[in-house]
Amino acid sequence: MSLYLRKRRRVLRQSLVGSILFMAGFAVFYVLNMLPDRFFPAVLSAHPAFYVALMTLVCVISYKYTDRVVTQFFKQTIFKKKSFSHITLMNLTEELALILDLKVLSNLIVNTFGEVLKLKSVALIVPSRVRGDFEIASAYGWNVSNYKRTRIPDKAALIELVRKKGGHILLRDRIMHTLSWQDANRLAHDFDSLKANWIIPLWVKDELTGMIAFSSYFPDKSFDESDFHFFREFAMQAAKYVHNALSVRELQAANVELQDIQSHLIQSTKIAAIEQLATGIAHEIHNPLTIISGKAQVLLLKKDKSAMDQQIEDVLKTIVKQTKRAADITRKLLMFSQGSGAPKEPLRLEQILEDTIALVSYQTSLEGIEFVKTIERDMPVFYGNVHELREVFLNLILNAVQSIGSQGTITVEMNYIPHEEIIRIEISDTGEGIDQEHIEKLFNPFFTTRHEAVGLGLFVTKQIVHRYGGSIRVEGSKGRGTLFTVAFPYSEASKPLTSAEHKVSLSLFPEDP
Amino acid sequence: MKKLLVVDDEQEICDFLKTFFEERDYEVDTASSGFQALEQVKAVRPHVVLLDVHMPGMDGMKVLKEIKERYPKVKVIMVTAIETQEKIEEAMRLGADNYITKPLSLEYLEKDVQEKIAILSRSAEHEIV
Repeated sequence: MSLYLRKRRRVLRQSLVGSILFMAGFAVFYVLNMLPDRFFPAVLSAHPAFYVALMTLVCVISYKYTDRVVTQFFKQTIFKKKSFSHITLMNLTEELALILDLKVLSNLIVNTFGEVLKLKSVALIVPSRVRGDFEIASAYGWNVSNYKRTRIPDKAALIELVRKKGGHILLRDRIMHTLSWQDANRLAHDFDSLKANWIIPLWVKDELTGMIAFSSYFPDKSFDESDFHFFREFAMQAAKYVHNALSVRELQAANVELQDIQSHLIQSTKIAAIEQLATGIAHEIHNPLTIISGKAQVLLLKKDKSAMDQQIEDVLKTIVKQTKRAADITRKLLMFSQGSGAPKEPLRLEQILEDTIALVSYQTSLEGIEFVKTIERDMPVFYGNVHELREVFLNLILNAVQSIGSQGTITVEMNYIPHEEIIRIEISDTGEGIDQEHIEKLFNPFFTTRHEAVGLGLFVTKQIVHRYGGSIRVEGSKGRGTLFTVAFPYSEASKPLTSAEHKVSLSLFPEDP
Repeated sequence: MKKLLVVDDEQEICDFLKTFFEERDYEVDTASSGFQALEQVKAVRPHVVLLDVHMPGMDGMKVLKEIKERYPKVKVIMVTAIETQEKIEEAMRLGADNYITKPLSLEYLEKDVQEKIAILSRSAEHEIV
């Protein structure tokens, strides 16, 4: 379709140019004819070849100029180039008005832009919410991981230039010529990182809400004044919608934050209440337990035990054992509520997991339970509390052991997932599994399906995992085993520098003499 | 004679500890409050004090501080229903010689007391009768 159109245009243009030239030649011939004979020798003027040569000369000289004028005339009147692409983009702005989601909005803008103008790459750049710099909201013709990583600092030369130029569209080539080479270099870097030859700023009043950066396949492709005029109009519309979408994103994020804070508050209130309760219980219950257990022990450890019945001795032993068990409940509750202040240190998670498995493996080997371990080596150093983390692993492994009973396999996997920045631990067993109805209650305090258990293990585990900002998930069904997945977030930022690292980082930037 | 002072606001706890240690040839005195404990320490000069942390009035930490200031030679074993890292650290800073939790294991307690007495008998200044 477009090919056909283009040909027609050329035919029209050429014939117009031809007729203009012919007319011009004819006019010259006519004027010459009017002139008195004495200007030209009669021989020459009588010969028709003279006129043909003259007309040809006139045509050749004025062809280029005439052609340009005609082309310009065509562009401005009959064949307004904007027709197709501009109309599509204008329709786009109407559609954009309905979209409040930044992702959808920016996708639509860059894709339409890219397709319609047949561009190599398009990127919509918006201010980042947290960091105060600029990020790419959506891109066309980019590698996804590339554009997610690209960031333009607020102080970048490009941003400063955009702010200075206001609503003007930036043309890379034209700007470069006007700058000193140092500035041009800095600017070229920013243009390169956005893969851009042109940049359309999006302004809402005095606020820079974003930019559209794009480049074409052909380095010499150019847009003319009418294009830029259109781009400016488009930018005015688009800026409003991008601004709206940014506000929506802001509100949503604030909402999520608020919910987080609220649930955190509820959680910490709960924990504080449990701590108070546990402390109270510990005081009130441990004294009577001490008395019961103490008196039993006095009898048990009596020097003269000959008079004591075997049955009585068994009873006393049971008393001592059971009072200890009762005391352990409050101790566990206290451990979870007070743990938030536990001191943290750099440690190796894989080592703690190995140690914990080693701790139980003797007992489990007697019961025919086997461990299959896939534990990644050389994981990044984790920052945490050994006792808490061991408690997590021990609870999960003991849970698996108890679920199996005897004869079975426990599979333990641990690995670091760099692009998500998490350390993931999976512990699965071939045990009896869980009823679906129990899954939700699994992490509740005092929930247990076993007679002798207290039901605090998984509860405490979950609290500890949450304290590290991690998550714990359980999958499984009756008769098909259970899978626990724990994910700890790992990031360089959360890890304070140790003194040794600190020194290294300082020495990388020696002071100027 | 090895002299022991048991301080606990629960009379029953004092009672069974007294029974237990007297059977093992200790001279055991009891006190049910902080003030009483300080008076007893002054009067009988025990070798080892078993001191409950949580007591109404003057609590175990204050008593510990007083005892260690006035009679640094006296060994003090803190006894408590709950252990928290801060409490343990505080007690250790004030000079406590051990920190054990309820319910008590009498076997362990006896061993610990014996140990403290042994340390005392080794030091020349303090003489065991």
